[in-house]
Formats: sequence, structure tokens, C-alpha cells
Amino acid sequence: MKKTFVLLTAAVLTLSLFTACSSPSPAPANSTPPAPNNNPTSAPASETPVDPGPAFDTSRVIGVHTREDGSGTRDAFVSITGVGDDMYGEAVVLGSTNEILSQVGASEYAVGYISVGSLNDTVKALSIDGVTPSNATVKDGSYAIQRPFLVCVTDEKQADPLVEDFILFMLSDQGQAQLGSSWTMIDDGAPEYTAAGLTGALRIGGSTSVEPLMQRMREAYLALNDGVTIDISSTGSGDGINGATSGEYDIGMSSRELREAELETLTPISIALDGVAVIVNTANPLSNLSIEQVKEIFTGEITRWSGVN
Amino acid sequence: MQKERVMRAAFFMAALASVVSVALICVFLLYQGLPTLFEIGPLQFLLGRKWQPAALYSEPSFGILPMILGSIYVTGGAIALGVPIGLWTAVFMARMCPKALYRVLKPAVNLMAGVPSVIYGFFGMMFLVPMIFGFLGERFDMVSGSTMLTASVLLGVMILPTVISIAETNLRAVPPELYEGAVALGASHERAVFKVVLPAARSGVMAAIVLGVGRAIGETMAVRMVAGNQTALRMPYEFLKGVRTMTTNIVMEMNYVEYGSLHEGALIATGVVLFVFILLINLLFSTLNKGREKA
Repeated sequence: MKKTFVLLTAAVLTLSLFTACSSPSPAPANSTPPAPNNNPTSAPASETPVDPGPAFDTSRVIGVHTREDGSGTRDAFVSITGVGDDMYGEAVVLGSTNEILSQVGASEYAVGYISVGSLNDTVKALSIDGVTPSNATVKDGSYAIQRPFLVCVTDEKQADPLVEDFILFMLSDQGQAQLGSSWTMIDDGAPEYTAAGLTGALRIGGSTSVEPLMQRMREAYLALNDGVTIDISSTGSGDGINGATSGEYDIGMSSRELREAELETLTPISIALDGVAVIVNTANPLSNLSIEQVKEIFTGEITRWSGVN
Repeated sequence: MQKERVMRAAFFMAALASVVSVALICVFLLYQGLPTLFEIGPLQFLLGRKWQPAALYSEPSFGILPMILGSIYVTGGAIALGVPIGLWTAVFMARMCPKALYRVLKPAVNLMAGVPSVIYGFFGMMFLVPMIFGFLGERFDMVSGSTMLTASVLLGVMILPTVISIAETNLRAVPPELYEGAVALGASHERAVFKVVLPAARSGVMAAIVLGVGRAIGETMAVRMVAGNQTALRMPYEFLKGVRTMTTNIVMEMNYVEYGSLHEGALIATGVVLFVFILLINLLFSTLNKGREKA
């Protein structure tokens, strides 16, 4: 009687101890990007009874993943695909590009959408109506799901010579060269920029999607203008727009179009184009969807993979 | 004398700091949140079933009933899973544990309390979510492993240190005469612990549970990473579907919200509702504490 009690309590205890101790340990193992193999279910394989075989079961439910309400990526995605306000109610909502990447990378039957600039080997980007998402197809407009990266300024700030000079730089040949292979130029033949030798400080803030590009632009600009300091904070499109309106930032960054009320005080300027890629797990044999099918998946009209195969 | 007065003022200021910050938070929340609450309509806000604040083509709707229920479900699940384990652990640590084992156990529990919640979230996202999807996904046609159940399991683990340490302290505070009396009357060790000591520490154990509830309902980061965050209205039996809590609702949409919009106000108003919940829990806690002082 006594022993059974002690043993039982001890067993429960060891169990809880195990859960406690194992929590930090998977972190380092998973923080490195998993190698692109056929079965990227990154959890310890022995724990999951998922069949490791190559067969992709098309009768399984589509694991729809979306971004949160108000995100620039979501805004662009739902308005272009025609999903509009009818996003599938069962779609998992995640708060960042990285969360979408890791969930779609880890779950065989998942689908999601992210910025083309953030694509990597852990997921597979689908062609839309036969067009592969890439810089070239975004630029010539044949890849339909795309959006501009915006900076926005008030009229008052736009008159500031330093702000004006930096905007000139972003749209110049040297500025557009910073887009590299991750983002797409708006058009070729941007004018040459010559440093005006200005001094001062700029505060820039906003969209987390635009921020990596802005960091590169900053480096290149500072190399030409050593009397200037530029401070960049990455806090989301909404905050960038608010900050630009209130004067907290000289320049706000946004990855969504401005709303009507916001256009009254701010002028948007596109500095690049970015495609939104529909991504699936690498184990998924699918390679193409029509934009109509994308809409049907994200509104919940098609719920199983057999519906698109 | 002069020095004494200066220091007295300094100590008073220090004491005031926490009161002032709580008061400021209260004022901010109510000042920012209440107008929106009334603009939307309190009933429509609290009992509305649809949350679509940034609707592009239709009228936006602001109903947080799914989130209120979500918070309650996830917290309830965490309590159902975490409290029995936590209480048994506390009983074991206080009354049955060999000294050598205790020297390992106690630091382990303390360490658990110190693990940042984003690490728990990461663990949940990388381990629990795929595991639950792997076990149950096919059988129950699940969209993802991010479900109410996943969040409950993770929160159940996260509240363990709170429940264990408070319950253990209270079990140790039970006067030894009670235990000795029971044993003297012929009760076995286990019988004495479970039938005499544990009931005597009842109010302390309740306090442990209430604090666990407080921890679970306020948790944000970890829940956001494993709960799925769907805004659909759920019933308790839909525990294999995703759910959004009040905390995650605020943190997910705050970054992108339009300045001065109704959406922003609605998120702050969600904070007001959450704050009221926390106040109620604290009130419950202090009532229980009072009961204990009397006993």
C-alpha cells in the first residue's frame, strides 16, 4: 500500500521532471535550418508515428496557414487572389513570416504564403497559373500576387533636404542596386545619385518585411554620406505609418497600401516590388495551382488535397 | 533627524511607485478602451461571435466572445492537466521525498519557473505541435497540430512551478501536531497526509490553483505559438481545433493596426476585459488568503 503510493507519485513526478528538462534541449537542435530532405518533420522521428514513406495522401485535409488581420502580406494576398474578407475560419493564424515558414516546413499537408524574398529550401513555392514566382516574373507582371514596398512621409518632412536626399537615393541606380536578388526593381534605368554632402540624423521605422532592405539601403547611403546617422526600427507597417504621421519617424516603412484616411497626411513612395509566394511542404508533389484554386483553398471551399490534384 | 526624514520619503516614494504604475495602467486602459467599448456596444463587443476588424470589403465586426471563451477553455485545460500533477508533486516533495532526491527536485522546479515563456513556446511549436498532429491528425482530419489541446498541455506544464511551490509551502506550514495526531490514532503515513494534512492546507492549495489560473490566462507568447489563433467560436468538445485567446488577440494584431482606428480601440478594449478577469482572479486570491489567516 505504502510502496504503491510512493511509486505512483514518484512516477508522476519523473514524468513532470522530464517535460521540464526537455524543454530547452530541442531549441539548439532546431535552430539550424533543417536539411532539405524528403521528410522534414523536424520533431524526433521516433516520437511521431507519421509514416516516413514517400506517399503523399491526397485524402488528407489541407492545413491552411495565414497571417494575422492587418498584416501587409495578408492584405496583398487576399485582395489579389480574391479571398477578400472570406478567409477560411479554420486557417491557422500566425504572426510572422518565420512562423509560417517553420510550420509549413514541418507539416506535410500545410500550405501558406510568404514574401518571395523570404523563400528558402525548407519549403516549396508553387507556380500560380503556370508562372513561377521570381524577380523576373514579378517585374514583368506575369506573376500576379505582388505588392509594392512603400516608404511614406508627410509633406512637411518631404521638404526636409535630408529626407528628400535619402528618398532620391533609394530610387537611384545605387539605391536600387541594393535590392539584389531578393526584391524586384520597379523599373530599370534609375538615375545616378550624387551625394550632396548633407549632415544630420534620420529616424526610420515600420514594416518588418521592408526592414532588411532598408538596412542595406542605409549602409550604402552612409558609405556616400559620412555626416549622416540613420536609425531604423522594425515594428510593423502600422507602427511605421503611425510614427510617420506623428513625426516620431522621418520616414515610415509599409508593406501594405495606405488606407484612405492615412493618405490625407502621408505620401506613399514605392521603393521596390515584392511577390507573395504560395508555399507547401517539400513532400507535397503539387507544383502548380490556378489563382482560382488558391482562392478556393484559402476560403475553405476546397478542404482536401484531392480537390486540387 | 534630517537624514531619517529624507530616507522616510525615499522609502515612501519607492512604495508609491508600484501603486502609481498600477493606477496609471488602469487609467490608460479605461480611458483608451471604454470609449471604443461603448462605440461598438458593450453587448455586441462581449457577445459578438465574429471578429473581423480589418475587413477590406465589408463592414468590420468586433466580437470577442470567441476569444473570451478561448481564454477560458485553454486555462481550464491547463488547470485540468497541471493541477493534479502539481499537487501530487507538492505532496511528494513536502511529505514523502527522500532528502537526496529533494536536493535535485527543488532546483528543477525553480529552474522551470525561470524558463522564459518564448522557450516554452518554441518547444511547443517544434515538438508538441508536430507530435499531436502526428498522433491525431489523420484520424480526426485536423488542419494542424496547433490546437486548444496543445495550448492546454503546454500551459499545464508552464503553471507547474507556480502550483508546486505555493502548494508545497502551504503543506509544510500545516502544524506537525495534526499529522502526528493522525498517525498516533493509527492512520498510515499516506492516509495521514491525504486525509489530514492536505485538507488542513486546503485554502493554501486553492490559492496555488488560483495563481496557476492567473498565470495561464495571462500567458501570451507561448500560447500564440501553439494555439492556432483562429477566431472561430469554439465549443469545449472542439478541443482538437485551434483557438485564440484574449492575450494573443492583442499581441498578434497590435503591430499592424491603424493609428486611432476602431480596430486599435477594440484591441485595447480586449485588454480591459482581460484586466477585469485578472482583477477577479486576484480578488478571489485575496479572499482565499483572508480565509487562511482566520483559520
